[in-house]
Amino acid sequence: MFPFRLNPLGPVNASADRSAVTECEPPDYPADEEVATRSGYGAGLAKLGSANPDVVALDGDTKNSTYADQFMTLHPNRYFEMFIAEQNLVGAGIGLAKRGKIPFVSTFAAFLSRAYDQIRMSAISQANIKYAGSHCGVSIGEDGPSQMGLEDIAMFRAIPGAVVLYPSDAVAAERLVAEAAAYEGIVYLRTSRPKTSILYDADESFPIGGCKVIRESSEDKVTVVAAGITLHEALKAHEILAAEGIAIRIIDLYSIKPIDKEALQKAASETNNTLITVEDHYPEGGLGDAVLDAVATQGVCVHKLAVTGVSRSGKPEELLEYHGISADAIVEKVNSL
Amino acid sequence: MSGGYGQPALPDKNRVAVLQNIAHKMRVHIVNMTDASGSGHPTSSSSAADILSCLFFHVMHYSVEEPRHGSSDRFVLSKGHACPVLYAAWCEAGLLSKEHILTLRKPDSLLEGHPTPRQNYIDVATGSLGQGLSIAAGMAYCGKYFDKASYRVFCIMGDGETAEGSVWEAAAFSSHYKLDNLVAIVDVNRLGQSEATALGHSVDVYKARYDAFGWNAIIVDGHDIMAVCKALLTAATTKDKPTALIAKTLKGKYFPGVEDLDNWHGKPLGKQSGPALEAVKALITDNGPHGLSPRPIKDDAPKITFPKVQLCEPPKHTMGEKIATRKTYGEALVKLGKNYSRIVALDGDTKNSTFAITYKNCCPERFVECFIAEQNMVGVGIGLGCRARNIVFVSAFAAFFTRAFDQIRMGAISQTEVNFVGSHAGCSIGEDGPSQMALEDFAMFRTIPGAVCFYPSDAVSAERAFELAANHRGVTFTRTSRPATAVVYENTETFEIGKSKVLRKSDGDKVTVVGAGVTLHEALAAHKTLQAEGINIRVVDAFCLKPVDKALMVECGKATGGRIVTVEDHYFEGGLGEGVAAAVAEDGGVKVHRLAVTGIPRSGPAALLMEDYGISANCIVKAVKKMLA
Repeated sequence: MFPFRLNPLGPVNASADRSAVTECEPPDYPADEEVATRSGYGAGLAKLGSANPDVVALDGDTKNSTYADQFMTLHPNRYFEMFIAEQNLVGAGIGLAKRGKIPFVSTFAAFLSRAYDQIRMSAISQANIKYAGSHCGVSIGEDGPSQMGLEDIAMFRAIPGAVVLYPSDAVAAERLVAEAAAYEGIVYLRTSRPKTSILYDADESFPIGGCKVIRESSEDKVTVVAAGITLHEALKAHEILAAEGIAIRIIDLYSIKPIDKEALQKAASETNNTLITVEDHYPEGGLGDAVLDAVATQGVCVHKLAVTGVSRSGKPEELLEYHGISADAIVEKVNSL
Repeated sequence: MSGGYGQPALPDKNRVAVLQNIAHKMRVHIVNMTDASGSGHPTSSSSAADILSCLFFHVMHYSVEEPRHGSSDRFVLSKGHACPVLYAAWCEAGLLSKEHILTLRKPDSLLEGHPTPRQNYIDVATGSLGQGLSIAAGMAYCGKYFDKASYRVFCIMGDGETAEGSVWEAAAFSSHYKLDNLVAIVDVNRLGQSEATALGHSVDVYKARYDAFGWNAIIVDGHDIMAVCKALLTAATTKDKPTALIAKTLKGKYFPGVEDLDNWHGKPLGKQSGPALEAVKALITDNGPHGLSPRPIKDDAPKITFPKVQLCEPPKHTMGEKIATRKTYGEALVKLGKNYSRIVALDGDTKNSTFAITYKNCCPERFVECFIAEQNMVGVGIGLGCRARNIVFVSAFAAFFTRAFDQIRMGAISQTEVNFVGSHAGCSIGEDGPSQMALEDFAMFRTIPGAVCFYPSDAVSAERAFELAANHRGVTFTRTSRPATAVVYENTETFEIGKSKVLRKSDGDKVTVVGAGVTLHEALAAHKTLQAEGINIRVVDAFCLKPVDKALMVECGKATGGRIVTVEDHYFEGGLGEGVAAAVAEDGGVKVHRLAVTGIPRSGPAALLMEDYGISANCIVKAVKKMLA
């Protein structure tokens, strides 16, 4: 028998409308325009915010670089400036996720490493949170290695259940933002600083776990698997090699985790059982290792091109060359086989 | 005109004018540099120019000929993006020429976009904000307690970067350890990157916060040379607490049309360069050489060279004896420390779990308790290792090193040689559950360029791993386990970086099984089971995951029908399995089947978890049979 009786106030009903992710305005870029995938992220996020009232965005004083500021402009009451404090940025995102929002947490990819413990715990907390890291790789150029994300794919691949996405053009970036929101769980989106050409039509779809075979012939000597900036290098290499009478297959691996195992195994089996992976990331734990994981039980030959050693300041093109992940490096590798 | 060492007298009117002129010349360099490079942070640099002039030309004791002298004052530019002001200061000091600084950010120039120790006058890389104060605290701790020397440490931070929690970890550490040889300067220029900082110019609030953290906080006008020098003199005579100068400044100071305005972060001045140069040059009262030299160093820090460090005696274990590799850590440090006094260990309130406590009990003066603040602990470790003053070991639960991944990442760019030791690896820790389990630590540490990653499976190999780590001139990470495991090596066994060990071998081996740590023992158990069923497997103890023993993995793979099974107490991504798969990938023809922890584990007994999550002896047996089917 209890002398006291508690009469707590009932919960306040927050909206639970999680529909309308696919009702985002489609991408709209002229075919010959060069647009950075970070810009695609900004545009995609703003459109997503218009389609879905549960989407919120947080950033750590980099919103004019990650382009989260586009969301802020359209939906100022759903944007949270977290200042230069990434641990708290992620923690607040987790809190918002647990209360039914769909948070998109952005900063430079390199600085998400500041919150790796929080990201690790967000998986144990089963948080429906989306992370976006911009300025990946040496392709950021002159700012140098302190600002370059070169271990972010490894970091997020090691998170159980996380989806890891790496769009190669602004169309894919916009679409993958919507896919990320539709997915229930942790998603990481990797974006680049430099402007790159548009590769896909506005109505192209990018299902999680898929990939795009964007160059293919019956004479392909080898398959090159790339994403982001190196996908464009692979396309340049394709042209150079075509002029030399050599054909290569190219796969845009926009979904690094989950990975399209079947497509990779099929491509390998049709191109001399050989894959070349190219990434603007360290060799460990990234796109190359993800591909390796997918084909390791098949004994496929995999050659990994990646950034080895600490990088430095320089022009993006010069750094891609210096680190052996440029079109020339791909051509050289193909010719050496 | 001299105060005591480290206690600069106040500058007279002439000296103030000279210092002001130097600051303005630095501003000219800053504009010219960033114009030439077409990128950079001139406004962030300009707000700090007067402060740097005071430091470099009135206060600090250092040598232009030997910028990394062991006894010189240290300077850390925590707001690394303002490196043009640092290069400008060294230019005025005579180390860099006016032509050379115009090569800022070019691919063939040492003057990178953010500071790196590739330049011999810079100790650590900065550019990821909020890390400099921890490093400076480590340098100051070394000066006060290890070197017992006169040198002092100065660290300048931006106001935006003090939003980082790591800054406050460093602040708490510094006052707790009474680092009165440490001066922090906060360049409060009000403007962050994408908008104004949360506190703007509320210098009172900054002062209150630093005071609350046990510092002596002084508010100054950061553009008033006399006021800055006065505050630095006060710092030099303040005992038992560090000093923080809260310097009120303007971003882009003295640049017309730019000063204190939004939207100028990280941009060269462009059309505003002309007016800026004109305005600043007009303020310079004397264009001749300033004639100032840095204050002379008091050479009282001990001279240090690192010998080849050895265990004072070889391992003394019995085969089959059960010892946890985490326990061996403390014992190994004691055995290393007997021969060499500059081995220091740090821990974050887990010393009775990581066994750093064994070293603390033996040599308390060489142990630094960092409390529950891993970011700061790693930064302090990096600082203690600067200028080759100490061989540093930093221990924590391996899972909690994820808290300091950015600091570890930057440490590699800083060319640090810190040895990280992470205990409580994997689901084999048992009941504490996943928040305490390291299952992604190798994914993290293997990405660190040049890092060596050890995963010893017994006490003998663990002792040798720590010995190798102490001698390796680069980052190392050693993973230790919680459960006690059997000794499998003779005390005379030798180990090398990049070399694995074959523990079971026969002519009829059908599959190679590679394990490490607890799974090595599971592999040995699986070997026994399979042997009784007439199936022979080769068992490899990885011991070193990076660099991976490529030759051995390829040899074993080829010798066992192109079949390798890897098994690790770690997630699938980024660990042992990927390392082995990558090692054999270029040759082709070797199939690698990886066993790893299949999902987020839960609380439970270690043996049960290893079974449920796919890495037990049983699971290995099944995997081998499947490969042979």
